Amino acid sequence: MNADYLNPIIAATDSVFQTMLQLEPRKGKVFVQEGLVSRKEANVIIGVTGDIKGSIIYSFSKDMALKVVEAMSGMEMKELDKFVTSAMGELGNIISGKATTSLAEKNFTCDIAPPQIVTGKEVKIVTDAKNVLSVTFDTNLGSFDVSFSIN
Amino acid sequence: MIWRDDYKIGVELVDKQHEELFKRLGNFIKTVRSDSEKDVKKEEVEKTLDFMGEYVVTHFDSEEALQKKYNYPGYEEHHEIHENFKQEVIDFQKEYKNNDYNEDFVMEFSGRLLTWLINHVASTDQKIGDYINSIEEGK
Repeated sequence: MNADYLNPIIAATDSVFQTMLQLEPRKGKVFVQEGLVSRKEANVIIGVTGDIKGSIIYSFSKDMALKVVEAMSGMEMKELDKFVTSAMGELGNIISGKATTSLAEKNFTCDIAPPQIVTGKEVKIVTDAKNVLSVTFDTNLGSFDVSFSIN
Repeated sequence: MIWRDDYKIGVELVDKQHEELFKRLGNFIKTVRSDSEKDVKKEEVEKTLDFMGEYVVTHFDSEEALQKKYNYPGYEEHHEIHENFKQEVIDFQKEYKNNDYNEDFVMEFSGRLLTWLINHVASTDQKIGDYINSIEEGK
């Protein structure tokens, strides 16, 4: 698997967090894992089709997802309700859209599917891909993982 | 919703309208998230959504007029984004009624709208400001 695929997603994550949330995510080391069981409660999954097939997964703790939506709305959020998960889903959609634009510049033509939201602890997110590339970002609102599983 | 000076594109009319749009979407979201009784709430939701929807049209029209005035090269693409958005609001209004004013449905819609509008203003619209300001500076 090519780690180059992950770089446009990392760059897009960085840029969207800066523009929309005035946050500068600090990137950790990229790691490879078999399958993906998320330890974080709010997972946004974006299916990718075309030259690269797989999924991009954004995993946030409940606390961070609430804080992000609070920062955007200026309102207090207490639960991972439909409003919060949908706002986070759109965030994943925007980052992934930006990432696929960069992939297109590298001659990989891809389309993305609407976000799917999976909430809960220790959820098995990916089972059909052997390797999943992941990276953890740390921000002032908490840390989150971005993963790319390629089928 | 919180308006930030970072969101300004440097064109006064557009900046004022964006700020107003943030206010109206904020009111819509507050209504959607309120604890009112369903019957009261559905009327308030429809009212605040109409109030925001009307302003979206006004704002998109003047933003597009400005783009045309300056021959903005991204006009066609931007116009399409606006048209799609307006259509989504219209579709939602219809479906919300058809779904018997389903709570999850309106929560989902307004959450997406929140993120969408911030991105549109903080990112997509910035390009218009950059373009217009570069022309004005060249004069």
